[in-house]
Amino acid sequence: MVTQTNATNFSRLSVRQLAKSFPGVRALGGVDLDVQAGEVLGVIGENGAGKSTLMKILAGVQVQDQGQILWEGQPVSFANTRQAMEQGIVLIHQELNLCDNLNVAENLFLGNYPTLGGLIDFWTMYRRARQSLEKVGLKVSPRMPLSRLSLGQQQMVEIAKALSIDAKILIFDEPTSSLSHSEADALFRLIDELKARGVGIVYISHRLSEIMRLADRVVVLRDGQNAGNLQRSEVTHERMVQLMIGRDVSKFYVRTRHTIGDEVLRVDELRTKAWPQHACSFTVRRGELVGIAGLVGAGRSELLRTIFGIDRAGGGSVHVAGQQLALRSPRAAMNAGLGLVPEDRKKEGLVLESSVVRNVGLAGLARNAGWGGWLNGRQELADTRQAMADMRIKTPTPWQLVKFLSGGNQQKVVMGKWLALSPQIMLMDEPTRGVDIGAKQEIYQLMEGLASQGRGVLFVSSELEEIIGIADRVLVMHEGRLAGEVTGDQMTEHAIMQLATGGSS
Amino acid sequence: MRENLAGIVKLIGISIILVALWVLMIRMTPESFLDSGNIENLLRRTALFSILGIGVALVIMTAGIDLSLGSIVCLAGCFLALFLKVDYQPYHSAGVYEISKSKATFLIDPLDLEVVESGTSPTDARAEDVGKLAAGQWVRLYQTKRSRSGMHQITSVEKQSANGRVLLTVAPAPARDETADDGTLIAKIAPALPMRGFSEEDGNVMQVQAGSGSVPALKARDRLWLSDAKGRLKEHVIASTELKGDGQDVRSDLDAPIVPTDWFWVGLERRQFMSVRLAVLSVLGIGLGLGALHGCLVTYVRLQPFVVTLCGLLIYRGWARWLSDDQSVGFGNEYTDSLSWFSLGKFSTKVPWASAEWELNIPFVFFVLVAVAILGALLLNWTIWGRYILALGRNEEAARFSGINTGGMKRLAYTLCGLLAGLCGILFAMDSGSISPSNQGSFFELYAIAAAVLGGCSLRGGEGSISGVIIGTALMQTLNNMITLLKIPNTIELVVLGGVILLGVVFDEAVRWFFSWLGRKRRG
Repeated sequence: MVTQTNATNFSRLSVRQLAKSFPGVRALGGVDLDVQAGEVLGVIGENGAGKSTLMKILAGVQVQDQGQILWEGQPVSFANTRQAMEQGIVLIHQELNLCDNLNVAENLFLGNYPTLGGLIDFWTMYRRARQSLEKVGLKVSPRMPLSRLSLGQQQMVEIAKALSIDAKILIFDEPTSSLSHSEADALFRLIDELKARGVGIVYISHRLSEIMRLADRVVVLRDGQNAGNLQRSEVTHERMVQLMIGRDVSKFYVRTRHTIGDEVLRVDELRTKAWPQHACSFTVRRGELVGIAGLVGAGRSELLRTIFGIDRAGGGSVHVAGQQLALRSPRAAMNAGLGLVPEDRKKEGLVLESSVVRNVGLAGLARNAGWGGWLNGRQELADTRQAMADMRIKTPTPWQLVKFLSGGNQQKVVMGKWLALSPQIMLMDEPTRGVDIGAKQEIYQLMEGLASQGRGVLFVSSELEEIIGIADRVLVMHEGRLAGEVTGDQMTEHAIMQLATGGSS
Repeated sequence: MRENLAGIVKLIGISIILVALWVLMIRMTPESFLDSGNIENLLRRTALFSILGIGVALVIMTAGIDLSLGSIVCLAGCFLALFLKVDYQPYHSAGVYEISKSKATFLIDPLDLEVVESGTSPTDARAEDVGKLAAGQWVRLYQTKRSRSGMHQITSVEKQSANGRVLLTVAPAPARDETADDGTLIAKIAPALPMRGFSEEDGNVMQVQAGSGSVPALKARDRLWLSDAKGRLKEHVIASTELKGDGQDVRSDLDAPIVPTDWFWVGLERRQFMSVRLAVLSVLGIGLGLGALHGCLVTYVRLQPFVVTLCGLLIYRGWARWLSDDQSVGFGNEYTDSLSWFSLGKFSTKVPWASAEWELNIPFVFFVLVAVAILGALLLNWTIWGRYILALGRNEEAARFSGINTGGMKRLAYTLCGLLAGLCGILFAMDSGSISPSNQGSFFELYAIAAAVLGGCSLRGGEGSISGVIIGTALMQTLNNMITLLKIPNTIELVVLGGVILLGVVFDEAVRWFFSWLGRKRRG
């Protein structure tokens, strides 16, 4: 570990053994970090490695369980973002924190308006706003409504806002995710300038090329711990990927080989609304577990949602067992033999205030209904008991409210809803997110079970280990397009990461 | 059922409050509270407001709201009155375009002669009728601008070839010159026929010529103008008619129109815009249509239910006031003829444990509520649509992800709500007999929403039951009754109602909290 602190020369900001746990998850397990004045520190890691938690603690959004934050050698603690800002640390979020309905100057001084006898001193506000905008090189009027600015310009406003309160450390969390190429370039030039002015910068990105362009040093996080530090001269794409993944895959994934049959899902030139410029084509065969890997925001969830008819397709077609699927509504997809375990279990998968039986039965109600929509409660209950037995859902009764179940059991309820309909293809979006280890393994077994019954499984996962462990084939997405496909021996974390970060395999 | 334990506890709680109120009332004012009429009134009002409450409860269960109910109730009532409007017009009449005193003439257009006859083609009939207006024929002038009306005998008929109009020379001469140079209609005339006689033994039976050719065949509920040569006028409603040879005996609703036989009669035909059945169906259709419109605006245009129905509240109220010129509208004789049997109707029964003279009167409206409640409960608890409505009310996204047509279900809920509001509009209009468009049904939407909330519906959606709505309404109506009977100042009524609703909601939240705590405790 490179430590640049000594008795006379403290780092501007240091973090020592920072730890933070959430219920069931250890997000950070003792992380060290140093940021100097006038340098850009790149922070990288896989999804869930703890980057965001670390930055949120630094910016006062969350409070650590253990460990210390040192400001020029002195321990500090932030109870909220305001205290962090007063110390000089500002986090520029992935999603901007600006008010669309106010103008540029009003945003710059939001919560901190210059006043004159209790009223807003507009004259001073606009004068100071012009100065702030000059500093970031943004040539717009401070009276311009924010909504008329491009996303890149809005980001500049946010940076100007940070500078206006004299920020000494700026943390960028995926700043380029919604910027055009030229806007990103402008941002990079500004970062260079800020660096020259002595501002310490922490730059988080999945885009390794940006890290290579900007970073003086790189800190790699993995599973909430330091995985390594790289000096400027050591920063290469290969090296970063290696550090991000380097761990041994345990014997966690027990794979049973099953016979792979004929094609059951065919996706042709499908365009999602989020990425209409890219068309995706692929197939899934019976008995096949196909994983979709990629970074967060690569368009994986959008792909599943489009196939299932939740988002409008921008073009292309989907065939299920040879029949063309009307990409119109979830109901059409359901009737064609598709099921979707959505990404956000609580928002999209479950009616939390309802019971297990109501949730498991929900999708099958129409199929079981008698004449005139007459409810078949007996079938609903039978299906639920079947699902509870098959999937070992731990609940005292079928009438237990779902909100009182654990994450793993909730996920099984979502799966049970679809299994009662015997779908041809199961689409699963992050099926093991927020689920404990034991339940994870059970979910893997269920997925294997589906495949062995001759059904197709198409699942999205951000955990490379998991995807390599259970998938027969992996599709890798990068910024809305299928960047590649890996099978068999090629399925390595290295190869997938290369594709997912925009490198060539 | 078992999952909704908190809901059942709430229902029991509110029922206990209701029964406690009843006991309190019986202890305080046994005579007036237990009075047959008071109980009947309580049942009637509970029934009326419960139907409205069931409608809005369906919408609230989808996490929506309908603020337009009171205005729909008013609009539906106005439409019902409009549709049932009755008009009496002479069977045969012609427009008068010019009256000249100096020449003692009328200029009439025979093409206006409305001949209600079958068998002959209209043009022939008119030509024939012009022939009927021969010299010696008596006509009655009516509906003039300057209240000129009276009887005239035609002395000559002259056809004007230029415009096809007919110049009638009459005696006595019209009272005043009245010329419409622009040729517009200024009055109407109807041919008057001589009376045949009056029944000797039964004073209110008149004998007239039987219907044939240009003589109208009179029907019950038609009217009759009786005039003498001087233009005196009596109007009679016909109770019944009876054919006798070439004559017709007409029984009047009035006693003894003792008039000499040299009087004349003009038959007035009763014309109703719609039959009662058609009018009721049309009004229900209007309610249904407005509800469907709300549903479409909420689901297709994605407007907020609050805003959509708030606009509805204003628009329908204004529409009703415009339709009726902001005047009270009623049903006239129609009310006693065809509506009151239902609105005043009740099923009376002796109750074995009560005193001999006390009887329980259940108004017919209450049976409407029973039917609506049974259908509503079936929909909600025994069909998949009810399940869908409850599921999407709790989590619309999850319902959509489960292949449920959430938009369609919402439209169903709003449509049913509109339909029930239309039904209530009819029932309330019939109950009061007339409608004053500026305040009929005002605040009803809030009473309905309050009753639904008291009865266990959550404005967050996904919760509630039909029985809860009825109990909630009964509670509110009992309170209302209490305020009246205990002579609590009327002005404080809203304070009491508001306070009780607030308490109900606090109770609701307490129950919810308790069960949540219980669940957590049981789990951990």
